[in-house]
Amino acid sequence: MAQIFAVKGKKDVKNKKTMWMVLAGLVVGSVSVALVLGGNPKNMGFCIACFVRDIAGSVGMHQAAAVQYIRPEIIGLALGALIMSVAGKEFRAQGGSSPMTRFVLGFFVMVGALMFLGCPLRMVLRIAGGDLNAVVGLAGFVGGILLGILCLNQGFSLRRTYAQSPLEGGMISAVNLALLVLVVAAPPVVLFSAEGPGSMRAPVWMALAAGLIVGALAQKTRLCMVGGLRDAVLFRDFYLLYGFIAIIAAAAVGNLVTGNFSLGFAGQPVAHTDGLWNFLGMTLVGFASVLLGGCPLRQLILAGSGNSDSAVSVLGMFVGAACCHNFKLASSADGPTPNGKIAVILGLAVVAAVAALNIQKQKSKR
Amino acid sequence: MNYIATFFTHYGAMTFQRLLKGQGKAARMSPVPRALSASCGVCVRFDGQGLSETAEAVDLEGVYQETETGYLQIDSEH
Repeated sequence: MAQIFAVKGKKDVKNKKTMWMVLAGLVVGSVSVALVLGGNPKNMGFCIACFVRDIAGSVGMHQAAAVQYIRPEIIGLALGALIMSVAGKEFRAQGGSSPMTRFVLGFFVMVGALMFLGCPLRMVLRIAGGDLNAVVGLAGFVGGILLGILCLNQGFSLRRTYAQSPLEGGMISAVNLALLVLVVAAPPVVLFSAEGPGSMRAPVWMALAAGLIVGALAQKTRLCMVGGLRDAVLFRDFYLLYGFIAIIAAAAVGNLVTGNFSLGFAGQPVAHTDGLWNFLGMTLVGFASVLLGGCPLRQLILAGSGNSDSAVSVLGMFVGAACCHNFKLASSADGPTPNGKIAVILGLAVVAAVAALNIQKQKSKR
Repeated sequence: MNYIATFFTHYGAMTFQRLLKGQGKAARMSPVPRALSASCGVCVRFDGQGLSETAEAVDLEGVYQETETGYLQIDSEH
């Protein structure tokens, strides 16, 4: 044990670390407001769930004509994380931690997010736009995270990851580059919405740049909506939560300045007012995300950084999005659908079963 | 507590912390320092008394000694 393997890293300087996180949150919030000014739907500068859903529609996985576009933000987020992780010598090709289970969890994260109409990042941006339905969603999200923490404390584990080839870790980035070619070339085989949220989009260069910046910052700071609340509850560590709060602060100020702040429940952009299902949708997102180890944004960042388990989680969200529209599970501004309500209840049951069946018995190597 | 054990799983960290606590030794779980990993995993901080128990830890990724300026890796996954 006395042998030294390596000298690794400089010690974290707490104030400097917190400053980076607050700065990252402020940038994410500001960039989100800028993307809305550039053409994205209101309170949707970023939404991992909505944008992955748009990409699924664009390549013909679903036929909801209003939500089809290859969102460059998603491509940029993952590629930004790739570039930052390679530059920082932190690109780690790894995987093998229950990939199919992660696929299913990713699927139900999307079912919950499309019930609420947004991922945790968009939930934060909706709060910053004055959408009080998102505060109800936040309450459900916290409830889901607490359920997940309960399972972690009982010994939940999807088991360890293993080192993989750089090719495997980089494959998701190759897919992203292919998507970038498709969005720039826009061949007739890909579908781009002519009306609805899918038709509202910032210019490609702006969306890509925004994704690259936020992806790089998120990799550097480990920004995560789920992790912020998890670490605050488990360890009284508020580092990740500072980013969460900084995003709200920057986006709220930006929305006030640009006239996009509107406090209330009714008439909010791409949102509905059914409190129960906003709550339960985000409960499902929070619960499944804790079991996955991070929110949809974080899965995208880890995927770009070489984690093929996270890439599989993103694929689960991608297929989940397609099913949500094909099976009429996704909500609209009119509210949730009957099928969507059944799917969320089913999702909560499936995630609870996944949690219960992956509780490890106490063991040691002895 | 100037030693840090990192793990592939939350479960590994939790069982190691409980192992040390069960023996009356100091141990605390916390988010893994950014300098040691870009992952959002957790680690266990402990003192030299718990060093021999790392041999029994499951899903162990590495063991580090915290110094004034950084971290010395003194053990790797096994």
